[in-house]
Amino acid sequence: MILELDDVTVSFTTGPPLRRRRLDAVRGVSLAVAEGETLGVVGESGSGKTTTSRVALGLRRPTSGTVLFDGRPFPRRRRDLAGRIQAVLQHPHWSLNPRMRVGQSVAEPLAVLGRPAGSLVAEALEQVGLGAGFAERYPHELSGGQRQRVSIARALITRPSFVVLDEAVSALDVSVQAQILNLLKDLQAEFRFSALFISHDLGAVRYVADRIAVMRDGEIVETAAAAAFHTAPEHPYSRQLLESL
Amino acid sequence: MKKLRLDPLSLAGLACLLLLVLLALGSLVDAAGDPDAIVGPRLRPPGPGWWLGTDNLGRSVLPRVMEGVGTTLLLSSAAVLVTAALSAGFGVLAGYRGGYLNELIMRVVEVLYSFPAIVLAVLVAAVAGPGQLAALASIVLVTIPLMTRLVRAAAVAVAGRDYVTAAVISGARLPRVLGRHVLPNVAGTIAVQGTYALSVGISVEGGLSFLGFGVQPPQASLGVLIRQGGTYMMAAPWLIIGPGAVLVLAILSINVFGDGLRDRFEPRETRSLV
Repeated sequence: MILELDDVTVSFTTGPPLRRRRLDAVRGVSLAVAEGETLGVVGESGSGKTTTSRVALGLRRPTSGTVLFDGRPFPRRRRDLAGRIQAVLQHPHWSLNPRMRVGQSVAEPLAVLGRPAGSLVAEALEQVGLGAGFAERYPHELSGGQRQRVSIARALITRPSFVVLDEAVSALDVSVQAQILNLLKDLQAEFRFSALFISHDLGAVRYVADRIAVMRDGEIVETAAAAAFHTAPEHPYSRQLLESL
Repeated sequence: MKKLRLDPLSLAGLACLLLLVLLALGSLVDAAGDPDAIVGPRLRPPGPGWWLGTDNLGRSVLPRVMEGVGTTLLLSSAAVLVTAALSAGFGVLAGYRGGYLNELIMRVVEVLYSFPAIVLAVLVAAVAGPGQLAALASIVLVTIPLMTRLVRAAAVAVAGRDYVTAAVISGARLPRVLGRHVLPNVAGTIAVQGTYALSVGISVEGGLSFLGFGVQPPQASLGVLIRQGGTYMMAAPWLIIGPGAVLVLAILSINVFGDGLRDRFEPRETRSLV
Protein backbone atom coordinates (compact mmCIF):
# COMPACT_ATOMS: atom_id res chain seq x y z
CA MET A 1 0.00 0.00 0.00
CA ILE A 2 1.33 3.39 -0.93
CA LEU A 3 -1.14 5.25 1.26
CA GLU A 4 -3.24 4.06 4.16
CA LEU A 5 -5.69 6.07 6.20
CA ASP A 6 -6.99 4.17 9.20
CA ASP A 7 -9.96 5.48 11.18
CA VAL A 8 -8.99 9.10 10.50
CA THR A 9 -10.98 11.86 12.15
CA VAL A 10 -10.30 15.57 11.65
CA SER A 11 -12.14 17.98 13.92
CA PHE A 12 -12.38 21.72 13.95
CA THR A 13 -13.66 23.85 16.76
CA THR A 14 -16.00 26.67 15.82
CA GLY A 15 -18.07 29.27 17.55
CA PRO A 16 -17.37 31.82 20.28
CA PRO A 17 -15.42 30.92 23.45
CA LEU A 18 -17.51 29.08 26.08
CA ARG A 19 -19.89 27.94 23.37
CA ARG A 20 -17.36 26.18 21.22
CA ARG A 21 -18.66 23.35 19.14
CA ARG A 22 -16.64 20.53 17.72
CA LEU A 23 -17.16 19.89 14.08
CA ASP A 24 -15.88 16.74 12.42
CA ALA A 25 -14.83 17.44 8.85
CA VAL A 26 -14.12 13.76 8.38
CA ARG A 27 -15.07 11.00 10.78
CA GLY A 28 -13.56 7.52 10.98
CA VAL A 29 -12.32 7.49 7.40
CA SER A 30 -10.33 4.45 6.34
CA LEU A 31 -9.00 4.04 2.85
CA ALA A 32 -6.00 2.59 1.10
CA VAL A 33 -4.33 3.15 -2.22
CA ALA A 34 -2.28 0.28 -3.67
CA GLU A 35 0.76 0.70 -5.93
CA GLY A 36 -0.27 1.75 -9.43
CA GLU A 37 -3.90 2.01 -8.44
CA THR A 38 -6.26 4.96 -8.75
CA LEU A 39 -8.70 5.38 -5.93
CA GLY A 40 -11.56 7.70 -6.75
CA VAL A 41 -13.24 9.64 -3.98
CA VAL A 42 -16.59 11.11 -4.85
CA GLY A 43 -18.90 13.21 -2.77
CA GLU A 44 -20.81 16.46 -2.73
CA SER A 45 -19.27 19.68 -1.45
CA GLY A 46 -18.89 19.66 2.31
CA SER A 47 -18.61 15.88 2.40
CA GLY A 48 -14.98 16.02 3.58
CA LYS A 49 -13.23 15.33 0.28
CA THR A 50 -10.81 18.24 0.47
CA THR A 51 -9.94 17.55 4.11
CA THR A 52 -9.28 13.95 3.13
CA SER A 53 -6.95 15.11 0.38
CA ARG A 54 -5.06 17.42 2.75
CA VAL A 55 -4.61 14.54 5.18
CA ALA A 56 -3.46 12.28 2.35
CA LEU A 57 -0.91 14.91 1.31
CA GLY A 58 0.33 15.25 4.88
CA LEU A 59 -0.68 18.91 4.98
CA ARG A 60 -3.03 18.34 7.90
CA ARG A 61 -2.51 16.03 10.83
CA PRO A 62 -5.59 14.05 11.75
CA THR A 63 -7.15 14.63 15.17
CA SER A 64 -7.18 10.88 15.61
CA GLY A 65 -6.37 7.85 13.52
CA THR A 66 -3.23 6.96 11.62
CA VAL A 67 -1.88 7.84 8.21
CA LEU A 68 0.85 5.77 6.59
CA PHE A 69 2.67 6.77 3.44
CA ASP A 70 4.65 3.90 1.98
CA GLY A 71 4.24 2.05 5.28
CA ARG A 72 5.53 4.90 7.47
CA PRO A 73 3.92 7.89 9.14
CA PHE A 74 4.53 11.26 7.46
CA PRO A 75 7.95 12.58 8.48
CA ARG A 76 8.15 15.74 10.54
CA ARG A 77 10.03 17.47 7.76
CA ARG A 78 8.14 17.71 4.50
CA ARG A 79 11.41 17.79 2.65
CA ASP A 80 12.08 14.15 3.41
CA LEU A 81 9.21 13.32 1.07
CA ALA A 82 10.17 15.85 -1.60
CA GLY A 83 9.55 14.54 -5.08
CA ARG A 84 7.77 11.35 -3.99
CA ILE A 85 4.36 12.86 -3.52
CA GLN A 86 2.79 15.53 -5.72
CA ALA A 87 -0.57 17.10 -6.36
CA VAL A 88 -2.68 18.67 -9.08
CA LEU A 89 -5.09 21.04 -7.47
CA GLN A 90 -8.39 22.69 -8.05
CA HIS A 91 -8.21 26.11 -9.68
CA PRO A 92 -6.51 26.35 -13.06
CA HIS A 93 -6.43 30.11 -12.55
CA TRP A 94 -4.28 29.82 -9.42
CA SER A 95 -2.42 26.61 -10.04
CA LEU A 96 0.59 28.45 -11.49
CA ASN A 97 2.51 31.39 -10.08
CA PRO A 98 1.62 34.29 -12.42
CA ARG A 99 5.10 35.78 -11.95
CA MET A 100 6.95 32.69 -13.12
CA ARG A 101 7.43 31.39 -16.62
CA VAL A 102 5.85 28.00 -17.27
CA GLY A 103 9.30 26.41 -17.55
CA GLN A 104 10.32 27.69 -14.12
CA SER A 105 7.09 26.39 -12.60
CA VAL A 106 7.56 22.95 -14.11
CA ALA A 107 11.20 22.84 -13.03
CA GLU A 108 10.49 23.91 -9.46
CA PRO A 109 10.09 20.46 -7.85
CA LEU A 110 13.51 19.58 -9.31
CA ALA A 111 15.01 22.85 -8.09
CA VAL A 112 13.71 22.10 -4.59
CA LEU A 113 15.58 18.80 -4.70
CA GLY A 114 18.66 20.51 -6.07
CA ARG A 115 18.56 18.38 -9.21
CA PRO A 116 19.43 19.92 -12.58
CA ALA A 117 16.46 20.34 -14.90
CA GLY A 118 18.36 19.93 -18.17
CA SER A 119 16.07 18.74 -20.93
CA LEU A 120 13.52 17.34 -18.46
CA VAL A 121 11.28 20.41 -18.61
CA ALA A 122 10.97 20.22 -22.39
CA GLU A 123 10.29 16.47 -22.16
CA ALA A 124 7.66 16.97 -19.46
CA LEU A 125 5.88 19.60 -21.54
CA GLU A 126 5.93 17.29 -24.57
CA GLN A 127 4.51 14.47 -22.47
CA VAL A 128 1.46 16.51 -21.48
CA GLY A 129 0.86 17.50 -25.08
CA LEU A 130 2.31 21.00 -24.98
CA GLY A 131 5.34 21.96 -27.02
CA ALA A 132 8.67 22.75 -25.42
CA GLY A 133 8.04 26.32 -26.58
CA PHE A 134 5.51 26.75 -23.76
CA ALA A 135 8.37 26.95 -21.26
CA GLU A 136 8.90 30.61 -22.11
CA ARG A 137 5.28 31.63 -21.67
CA TYR A 138 3.55 33.14 -18.68
CA PRO A 139 0.42 31.52 -17.19
CA HIS A 140 -1.89 34.36 -18.26
CA GLU A 141 -1.15 33.47 -21.88
CA LEU A 142 -2.54 29.95 -21.35
CA SER A 143 -6.06 28.53 -21.36
CA GLY A 144 -7.45 26.66 -18.35
CA GLY A 145 -6.82 23.28 -19.97
CA GLN A 146 -3.26 24.22 -20.87
CA ARG A 147 -2.59 25.37 -17.32
CA GLN A 148 -3.84 22.09 -15.91
CA ARG A 149 -1.54 20.29 -18.35
CA VAL A 150 1.34 22.37 -17.02
CA SER A 151 0.32 21.47 -13.45
CA ILE A 152 0.39 17.82 -14.42
CA ALA A 153 3.83 18.22 -16.00
CA ARG A 154 5.04 19.89 -12.79
CA ALA A 155 3.56 17.14 -10.63
CA LEU A 156 5.11 14.31 -12.67
CA ILE A 157 8.56 15.74 -13.32
CA THR A 158 10.02 14.14 -10.20
CA ARG A 159 8.40 10.80 -11.09
CA PRO A 160 6.42 10.65 -7.85
CA SER A 161 5.04 7.36 -6.62
CA PHE A 162 1.81 9.01 -5.49
CA VAL A 163 -0.23 11.88 -6.92
CA VAL A 164 -3.30 13.52 -5.43
CA LEU A 165 -5.69 14.98 -8.00
CA ASP A 166 -8.07 17.21 -6.07
CA GLU A 167 -10.87 18.36 -8.36
CA ALA A 168 -8.18 18.55 -11.00
CA VAL A 169 -10.59 18.75 -13.93
CA SER A 170 -13.70 20.17 -12.29
CA ALA A 171 -13.18 23.75 -13.41
CA LEU A 172 -12.66 22.82 -17.06
CA ASP A 173 -15.07 22.52 -19.98
CA VAL A 174 -16.45 19.04 -20.50
CA SER A 175 -14.54 18.45 -23.74
CA VAL A 176 -11.30 19.64 -22.16
CA GLN A 177 -12.02 17.47 -19.10
CA ALA A 178 -12.13 14.40 -21.32
CA GLN A 179 -8.78 15.31 -22.90
CA ILE A 180 -7.13 15.79 -19.51
CA LEU A 181 -8.60 12.56 -18.12
CA ASN A 182 -7.30 10.64 -21.14
CA LEU A 183 -3.92 12.27 -20.68
CA LEU A 184 -3.87 11.20 -17.02
CA LYS A 185 -4.71 7.62 -17.93
CA ASP A 186 -1.97 7.54 -20.56
CA LEU A 187 0.61 9.03 -18.22
CA GLN A 188 -0.36 6.63 -15.46
CA ALA A 189 0.06 3.68 -17.82
CA GLU A 190 3.51 5.00 -18.68
CA PHE A 191 4.81 6.05 -15.26
CA ARG A 192 2.79 3.74 -12.98
CA PHE A 193 2.10 6.19 -10.19
CA SER A 194 -0.67 5.65 -7.68
CA ALA A 195 -3.36 8.28 -7.55
CA LEU A 196 -6.05 9.61 -5.31
CA PHE A 197 -8.61 11.18 -7.61
CA ILE A 198 -11.02 13.41 -5.77
CA SER A 199 -14.08 14.92 -7.44
CA HIS A 200 -17.70 15.77 -6.95
CA ASP A 201 -18.30 14.46 -10.45
CA LEU A 202 -18.99 10.72 -10.47
CA GLY A 203 -18.70 10.69 -14.27
CA ALA A 204 -15.07 11.80 -14.11
CA VAL A 205 -14.25 9.52 -11.17
CA ARG A 206 -15.82 6.53 -12.90
CA TYR A 207 -13.68 7.20 -15.98
CA VAL A 208 -10.29 7.02 -14.26
CA ALA A 209 -10.71 5.14 -10.96
CA ASP A 210 -10.00 1.46 -10.30
CA ARG A 211 -11.88 1.63 -7.03
CA ILE A 212 -14.38 4.20 -5.83
CA ALA A 213 -15.05 5.52 -2.35
CA VAL A 214 -18.23 7.49 -1.76
CA MET A 215 -18.15 10.18 0.91
CA ARG A 216 -21.07 11.82 2.61
CA ASP A 217 -21.11 14.08 5.67
CA GLY A 218 -17.50 13.30 6.51
CA GLU A 219 -17.83 9.55 6.31
CA ILE A 220 -17.12 6.96 3.68
CA VAL A 221 -20.40 5.22 3.03
CA GLU A 222 -19.15 2.73 0.48
CA THR A 223 -15.93 1.54 -1.11
CA ALA A 224 -16.08 -0.77 -4.08
CA ALA A 225 -14.20 -1.80 -7.19
CA ALA A 226 -15.27 0.44 -10.05
CA ALA A 227 -16.89 -2.36 -12.06
CA ALA A 228 -18.87 -3.68 -9.10
CA PHE A 229 -19.86 -0.19 -8.12
CA HIS A 230 -21.58 0.49 -11.41
CA THR A 231 -23.53 -2.72 -11.57
CA ALA A 232 -24.53 -3.06 -7.92
CA PRO A 233 -23.97 -0.09 -5.64
CA GLU A 234 -24.81 -1.09 -2.09
CA HIS A 235 -25.49 2.15 -0.32
CA PRO A 236 -28.67 4.04 -1.19
CA TYR A 237 -26.66 7.28 -1.55
CA SER A 238 -24.39 5.61 -4.12
CA ARG A 239 -27.43 4.49 -6.05
CA GLN A 240 -28.77 8.01 -5.93
CA LEU A 241 -25.48 9.37 -7.30
CA LEU A 242 -25.41 6.82 -10.10
CA GLU A 243 -28.97 7.53 -11.09
CA SER A 244 -28.33 11.25 -11.30
CA LEU A 245 -25.64 10.72 -13.95
CA MET B 1 5.41 40.31 -18.44
CA LYS B 2 2.58 42.63 -19.18
CA LYS B 3 3.52 46.18 -20.02
CA LEU B 4 3.04 48.73 -17.31
CA ARG B 5 0.30 50.89 -18.85
CA LEU B 6 -1.02 53.92 -17.05
CA ASP B 7 -3.83 56.32 -17.80
CA PRO B 8 -2.95 59.89 -18.92
CA LEU B 9 -3.75 61.44 -15.54
CA SER B 10 -1.39 59.26 -13.57
CA LEU B 11 1.25 59.69 -16.28
CA ALA B 12 0.89 63.43 -15.71
CA GLY B 13 1.37 62.78 -11.99
CA LEU B 14 4.51 60.80 -12.73
CA ALA B 15 5.81 63.53 -15.04
CA CYS B 16 5.16 66.16 -12.38
CA LEU B 17 6.98 64.06 -9.80
CA LEU B 18 9.95 63.64 -12.12
CA LEU B 19 9.98 67.40 -12.66
CA LEU B 20 10.25 67.90 -8.91
CA VAL B 21 13.08 65.39 -8.74
CA LEU B 22 14.79 67.30 -11.56
CA LEU B 23 14.39 70.54 -9.57
CA ALA B 24 15.94 68.84 -6.55
CA LEU B 25 18.84 67.53 -8.64
CA GLY B 26 19.28 71.03 -10.03
CA SER B 27 19.94 72.36 -6.55
CA LEU B 28 22.93 70.01 -6.27
CA VAL B 29 24.70 71.98 -8.99
CA ASP B 30 23.30 75.32 -7.82
CA ALA B 31 21.36 75.65 -11.09
CA ALA B 32 19.41 78.61 -9.71
CA GLY B 33 22.21 79.92 -7.54
CA ASP B 34 23.55 79.18 -4.06
CA PRO B 35 20.64 78.68 -1.63
CA ASP B 36 22.64 80.23 1.22
CA ALA B 37 23.97 83.27 -0.67
CA ILE B 38 22.52 86.69 0.06
CA VAL B 39 21.57 88.10 -3.32
CA GLY B 40 19.62 91.27 -2.62
CA PRO B 41 17.47 93.27 -0.27
CA ARG B 42 15.29 91.49 2.26
CA LEU B 43 11.69 90.40 1.62
CA ARG B 44 11.56 91.50 -2.02
CA PRO B 45 8.67 90.29 -4.21
CA PRO B 46 9.54 88.07 -7.20
CA GLY B 47 11.61 89.81 -9.85
CA PRO B 48 14.74 89.41 -12.00
CA GLY B 49 17.57 87.89 -9.95
CA TRP B 50 15.15 86.34 -7.45
CA TRP B 51 12.32 84.66 -9.38
CA LEU B 52 10.38 83.65 -6.26
CA GLY B 53 11.35 86.71 -4.21
CA THR B 54 13.84 86.99 -1.36
CA ASP B 55 13.48 85.94 2.25
CA ASN B 56 14.05 87.72 5.55
CA LEU B 57 17.84 87.46 5.14
CA GLY B 58 17.89 88.53 1.49
CA ARG B 59 18.40 84.98 0.15
CA SER B 60 16.71 84.05 -3.11
CA VAL B 61 13.71 81.77 -2.43
CA LEU B 62 13.90 79.70 -5.64
CA PRO B 63 17.16 77.85 -4.89
CA ARG B 64 15.97 77.35 -1.32
CA VAL B 65 12.76 75.72 -2.55
CA MET B 66 14.83 73.52 -4.84
CA GLU B 67 17.05 72.45 -1.98
CA GLY B 68 13.99 72.02 0.23
CA VAL B 69 12.13 69.75 -2.17
CA GLY B 70 15.30 67.68 -2.47
CA THR B 71 15.67 67.30 1.29
CA THR B 72 12.00 66.42 1.69
CA LEU B 73 11.89 63.93 -1.17
CA LEU B 74 15.14 62.25 -0.14
CA LEU B 75 14.11 61.96 3.48
CA SER B 76 10.63 60.65 2.63
CA SER B 77 11.86 58.17 0.02
CA ALA B 78 14.52 56.81 2.35
CA ALA B 79 11.88 56.38 5.04
CA VAL B 80 9.47 54.71 2.63
CA LEU B 81 12.16 52.26 1.53
CA VAL B 82 12.71 51.32 5.18
CA THR B 83 8.94 51.00 5.66
CA ALA B 84 8.57 48.87 2.52
CA ALA B 85 11.35 46.51 3.56
CA LEU B 86 10.02 46.08 7.10
CA SER B 87 6.37 45.82 6.03
CA ALA B 88 7.21 43.29 3.34
CA GLY B 89 9.08 41.14 5.85
CA PHE B 90 6.60 41.35 8.71
CA GLY B 91 3.47 41.38 6.55
CA VAL B 92 4.44 38.37 4.45
CA LEU B 93 5.56 36.40 7.50
CA ALA B 94 2.42 37.25 9.49
CA GLY B 95 0.14 36.56 6.54
CA TYR B 96 1.72 33.29 5.52
CA ARG B 97 2.57 31.76 8.89
CA GLY B 98 -0.42 32.99 10.86
CA GLY B 99 -0.68 31.78 14.44
CA TYR B 100 1.14 33.46 17.31
CA LEU B 101 3.59 35.28 15.06
CA ASN B 102 0.69 36.87 13.23
CA GLU B 103 -1.00 37.87 16.49
CA LEU B 104 2.20 39.38 17.86
CA ILE B 105 3.00 41.39 14.74
CA MET B 106 -0.55 42.60 14.22
CA ARG B 107 -1.07 43.68 17.85
CA VAL B 108 2.12 45.77 17.72
CA VAL B 109 0.96 47.27 14.44
CA GLU B 110 -2.45 48.09 15.90
CA VAL B 111 -0.90 49.89 18.85
CA LEU B 112 1.14 52.00 16.43
CA TYR B 113 -1.93 52.53 14.29
CA SER B 114 -3.89 53.96 17.20
CA PHE B 115 -1.58 56.98 17.57
CA PRO B 116 -2.39 60.06 15.50
CA ALA B 117 0.49 60.61 13.07
CA ILE B 118 1.68 63.93 14.42
CA VAL B 119 1.54 62.81 18.07
CA LEU B 120 3.68 59.81 17.19
CA ALA B 121 6.09 62.04 15.30
CA VAL B 122 6.43 64.51 18.17
CA LEU B 123 6.97 61.61 20.56
CA VAL B 124 9.82 60.30 18.42
CA ALA B 125 11.34 63.76 18.16
CA ALA B 126 11.14 64.11 21.94
CA VAL B 127 12.94 60.81 22.45
CA ALA B 128 15.50 61.00 19.64
CA GLY B 129 15.99 64.75 19.61
CA PRO B 130 14.87 66.96 16.72
CA GLY B 131 16.60 66.41 13.40
CA GLN B 132 16.60 64.43 10.19
CA LEU B 133 16.84 61.09 11.99
CA ALA B 134 13.75 61.88 14.04
CA ALA B 135 11.89 62.86 10.89
CA LEU B 136 12.91 59.65 9.17
CA ALA B 137 11.98 57.45 12.12
CA SER B 138 8.64 59.26 12.45
CA ILE B 139 7.74 58.69 8.82
CA VAL B 140 8.60 55.02 9.17
CA LEU B 141 6.48 54.62 12.30
CA VAL B 142 3.56 56.52 10.80
CA THR B 143 3.53 54.61 7.50
CA ILE B 144 4.43 51.12 8.68
CA PRO B 145 1.11 50.08 10.26
CA LEU B 146 -1.11 50.53 7.20
CA MET B 147 1.41 49.01 4.82
CA THR B 148 2.04 45.99 7.05
CA ARG B 149 -1.69 45.36 7.39
CA LEU B 150 -2.27 45.53 3.66
CA VAL B 151 0.75 43.41 2.79
CA ARG B 152 -0.42 40.87 5.36
CA ALA B 153 -3.92 40.81 3.86
CA ALA B 154 -2.45 40.29 0.39
CA ALA B 155 -0.15 37.56 1.71
CA VAL B 156 -3.08 35.76 3.36
CA ALA B 157 -4.83 35.67 0.00
CA VAL B 158 -1.73 34.46 -1.84
CA ALA B 159 -0.92 31.85 0.83
CA GLY B 160 -4.14 29.99 0.05
CA ARG B 161 -3.48 29.74 -3.68
CA ASP B 162 -2.76 26.42 -5.29
CA TYR B 163 0.71 27.28 -6.55
CA VAL B 164 1.84 27.92 -2.98
CA THR B 165 0.34 24.63 -1.81
CA ALA B 166 1.94 22.85 -4.75
CA ALA B 167 5.33 24.29 -3.82
CA VAL B 168 4.91 23.17 -0.20
CA ILE B 169 3.93 19.68 -1.34
CA SER B 170 7.02 19.59 -3.55
CA GLY B 171 9.07 20.12 -0.40
CA ALA B 172 9.96 23.80 -0.84
CA ARG B 173 11.16 25.40 2.39
CA LEU B 174 9.96 28.66 3.89
CA PRO B 175 12.51 31.04 2.28
CA ARG B 176 11.73 29.66 -1.15
CA VAL B 177 7.97 29.73 -0.67
CA LEU B 178 8.07 33.30 0.62
CA GLY B 179 10.73 34.59 -1.76
CA ARG B 180 9.57 33.01 -5.00
CA HIS B 181 5.85 32.70 -4.53
CA VAL B 182 4.41 34.99 -1.89
CA LEU B 183 6.60 38.10 -2.11
CA PRO B 184 6.49 38.54 -5.92
CA ASN B 185 2.71 38.30 -5.78
CA VAL B 186 2.29 40.96 -3.11
CA ALA B 187 4.83 43.28 -4.79
CA GLY B 188 2.01 45.20 -6.48
CA THR B 189 0.46 46.01 -3.13
CA ILE B 190 3.84 47.13 -1.81
CA ALA B 191 4.39 49.40 -4.82
CA VAL B 192 0.94 50.99 -4.56
CA GLN B 193 1.17 51.47 -0.80
CA GLY B 194 4.71 52.76 -1.23
CA THR B 195 3.49 55.71 -3.29
CA TYR B 196 0.81 56.54 -0.74
CA ALA B 197 3.35 56.20 2.06
CA LEU B 198 5.60 58.62 0.17
CA SER B 199 2.90 61.28 0.13
CA VAL B 200 2.17 60.68 3.82
CA GLY B 201 5.91 60.90 4.46
CA ILE B 202 6.14 64.26 2.72
CA SER B 203 3.31 65.68 4.78
CA VAL B 204 4.71 64.24 8.02
CA GLU B 205 8.11 65.78 7.25
CA GLY B 206 6.38 69.05 6.44
CA GLY B 207 4.41 69.02 9.67
CA LEU B 208 7.31 67.97 11.84
CA SER B 209 9.76 70.49 10.39
CA PHE B 210 7.07 73.14 10.57
CA LEU B 211 6.82 72.48 14.29
CA GLY B 212 10.60 72.59 14.56
CA PHE B 213 11.13 68.90 15.39
CA GLY B 214 12.36 67.77 11.99
CA VAL B 215 14.96 69.19 9.64
CA GLN B 216 16.80 72.06 11.29
CA PRO B 217 17.58 75.40 9.57
CA PRO B 218 19.73 76.57 7.85
CA GLN B 219 19.16 73.36 5.89
CA ALA B 220 16.04 73.85 3.79
CA SER B 221 13.16 71.42 3.60
CA LEU B 222 9.62 72.21 2.53
CA GLY B 223 8.49 72.18 6.15
CA VAL B 224 11.31 74.49 7.26
CA LEU B 225 10.55 76.94 4.43
CA ILE B 226 6.84 76.99 5.19
CA ARG B 227 7.56 77.64 8.86
CA GLN B 228 9.85 80.56 8.00
CA GLY B 229 7.42 81.83 5.39
CA GLY B 230 4.57 81.71 7.90
CA THR B 231 6.24 84.33 10.03
CA TYR B 232 6.18 86.88 7.20
CA MET B 233 2.97 85.69 5.58
CA MET B 234 1.30 89.11 5.56
CA ALA B 235 4.36 91.13 4.53
CA ALA B 236 5.83 88.66 2.05
CA PRO B 237 3.34 85.96 1.00
CA TRP B 238 5.73 84.62 -1.72
CA LEU B 239 7.82 83.12 1.07
CA ILE B 240 5.09 80.62 1.85
CA ILE B 241 3.41 80.38 -1.54
CA GLY B 242 6.47 78.91 -3.28
CA PRO B 243 7.23 76.01 -0.94
CA GLY B 244 3.52 75.55 -0.16
CA ALA B 245 2.64 75.14 -3.81
CA VAL B 246 5.49 72.68 -4.32
CA LEU B 247 4.34 70.64 -1.29
CA VAL B 248 0.79 70.48 -2.61
CA LEU B 249 2.04 69.60 -6.08
CA ALA B 250 4.28 66.83 -4.73
CA ILE B 251 1.54 65.20 -2.65
CA LEU B 252 -1.05 65.56 -5.36
CA SER B 253 1.10 64.13 -8.13
CA ILE B 254 2.20 61.19 -5.99
CA ASN B 255 -1.38 60.35 -5.09
CA VAL B 256 -2.56 60.59 -8.67
CA PHE B 257 0.30 58.36 -9.75
CA GLY B 258 -0.51 55.95 -6.91
CA ASP B 259 -4.14 55.75 -8.03
CA GLY B 260 -2.96 54.82 -11.50
CA LEU B 261 -0.69 52.12 -10.09
CA ARG B 262 -3.52 50.78 -7.99
CA ASP B 263 -5.89 50.59 -10.95
CA ARG B 264 -3.18 48.77 -12.81
CA PHE B 265 -2.50 46.23 -10.05
CA GLU B 266 -5.67 45.69 -8.07
CA PRO B 267 -8.20 44.57 -10.72
CA ARG B 268 -5.98 41.67 -11.59
CA GLU B 269 -5.28 40.94 -7.94
CA THR B 270 -8.93 40.81 -7.03
CA ARG B 271 -10.23 39.00 -10.07
CA SER B 272 -12.29 36.16 -8.69
CA LEU B 273 -11.65 32.48 -9.21
CA VAL B 274 -14.48 31.63 -11.54
